Amino acid sequence: MALANLKGRVAWIFTEENFDVDLIVGVKNIKITDINELAKAAMEAYDPDFASLVRKGDLIVGGGNFGYGHPHYPPLRALAHLGLRGIIAESFSPGFWRGEISMGTPLVSCPGILAAVSRWDEVEVDWDAGVVRNLTTGTSLPFEPLSLADHAMVETGGLVPYLKAQMQTA
Amino acid sequence: MGYTLAEKVLARVSGRPGVRAGEEVMARPDFVIVYDFPGYTDVIFRQMKEDFGIQRVDDPSRYAIFIDHMVPTATPKEEELHIQTRNWCAEQGVPLYERRGIGHQVSAELGYATPGAFAVHFDGHISQLGAYGALAIGLRRNILEAFVRERISIKVPHTTRINLTGTLRKGVMARDVFHHIVRVIGPSACRFQVMEVGGPALEYISLEGRQTICGLAMFTGAVTAVMNPDALSMAYTDLRNRIRVAPETSDPDANYTAVHTIDLTDLEPIIVLPPNPANTHNLSDHLGIEVQSGYLGSCASGRLEDLRIAAQILKGRRVKDGFSLHVIPTSQDIMAKAASEGLISTLVEAGAFTSSPSCDYCFGRIATMTAGQKAVSTGTLNVPGRMGSPDSQIFLVNAAAVAAASIEGKIADPRKYL
Repeated sequence: MALANLKGRVAWIFTEENFDVDLIVGVKNIKITDINELAKAAMEAYDPDFASLVRKGDLIVGGGNFGYGHPHYPPLRALAHLGLRGIIAESFSPGFWRGEISMGTPLVSCPGILAAVSRWDEVEVDWDAGVVRNLTTGTSLPFEPLSLADHAMVETGGLVPYLKAQMQTA
Repeated sequence: MGYTLAEKVLARVSGRPGVRAGEEVMARPDFVIVYDFPGYTDVIFRQMKEDFGIQRVDDPSRYAIFIDHMVPTATPKEEELHIQTRNWCAEQGVPLYERRGIGHQVSAELGYATPGAFAVHFDGHISQLGAYGALAIGLRRNILEAFVRERISIKVPHTTRINLTGTLRKGVMARDVFHHIVRVIGPSACRFQVMEVGGPALEYISLEGRQTICGLAMFTGAVTAVMNPDALSMAYTDLRNRIRVAPETSDPDANYTAVHTIDLTDLEPIIVLPPNPANTHNLSDHLGIEVQSGYLGSCASGRLEDLRIAAQILKGRRVKDGFSLHVIPTSQDIMAKAASEGLISTLVEAGAFTSSPSCDYCFGRIATMTAGQKAVSTGTLNVPGRMGSPDSQIFLVNAAAVAAASIEGKIADPRKYL
């Protein structure tokens, strides 16, 4: 099984450094557990029409040290529910990285990405070639390869299936 | 070329003669430390059995479980979680430490900070064991791996070295040193790396203060922090070490990603303004902001030196009417010592509210703020909603500044009281 390339539009660009992902749903909504309610709150502060504009496979782009602070899981659950597939950022905060990779969320650390894309550009993450392609502008950028374990975790869909697969082959 | 402390520890626990930063290894943690918390321990205990068919953990003495959150309980559901944890530990033969204090501190007291040891947790503040030369890393949910197999996969982290020089002025504490490090190198300077702290100024920073600095390492982006063991730290750990492993130190010619020298001579008390832990300023530039409550405690502060300086400031003075000052010693051991030194009576006579150790003040489970309120805090974090309403605000300061603010009901310079 190979990790399928990500292909979708850039649904939103968070240009800020050290972005606190809790803001995606709003701190006051962080304890909501109902996924439909969470998804309704997602991105409301940034674009009230977000939910109706995005489609399956779309991606989020972020700045440096994305996920800094004290990241919780609900914001990314909400984005996934709306069909968002992954995040490409200049760089990620380790706590956020660890947490989301273990949920099977594809994260792509790609220095230079902010300058290389505009909202709604069509982009492709080519895992084998190690590049992010902007299909709209025809440019491409290398990204930092995932560790073997992280790659396998995203490929299998998260920590539990990854560990199961590992322990079967051991 | 020499090796870093992190490389040496990970070489030993992965059974290899030498490993370098960037390599992926399978490492056997010497200690697996967690506290019970919904979504972590309850899920792990279930997944172990249901998803992996594992009835018992390998070598229960490697594991340590703390009950330090939801202490005391406020709902039947919380008590049910604790019961589940107690039962699991009894069934597995895993040591359980309940109501002894905040686990990251009690771990050090109980010898889990063995220099040269490799410890994992889900919570990144375990990094404070690095003050004694242990390599202690928070894995978030990946901690599950340490419950279902002997070894965990880990990429050997690079190391950034911070050399501290100079001495600390009156009223400047270890937390100020940490926040100043963030101010100088930035909140992402150590991303995915070990923050190694050393230099001549460490001589003037207590073991408690060193734990504070290492325990907050995540806010530089670091996966953990370490300090090379010295005579002071070894005098503490030699009495407590749980396992026999050789202490490690970084070689003088180790390969660091970067080396920063930070002089502390002119450092003033710091205030970290909302809304994030990198928003670092001199306290003296933000005096006078009205605050309604103060929290002196947490795994980052709340140790003896914090209680001593607060008692020194509050002795013979009063907490301002209407101000809520919560002074929560970090562990039972610290609380007992503070009591025998007379610190608790001084603080209580001044109007402080104190209780036995608990993590619950730090994340707003108790002493919860409502919209519009402001607190000074020695907790770990100042993100919105951390101590109650998302529309309340947290100003992180040192213990002396919490005490000073409690007298005036506004952010105040502690130095005039010292």
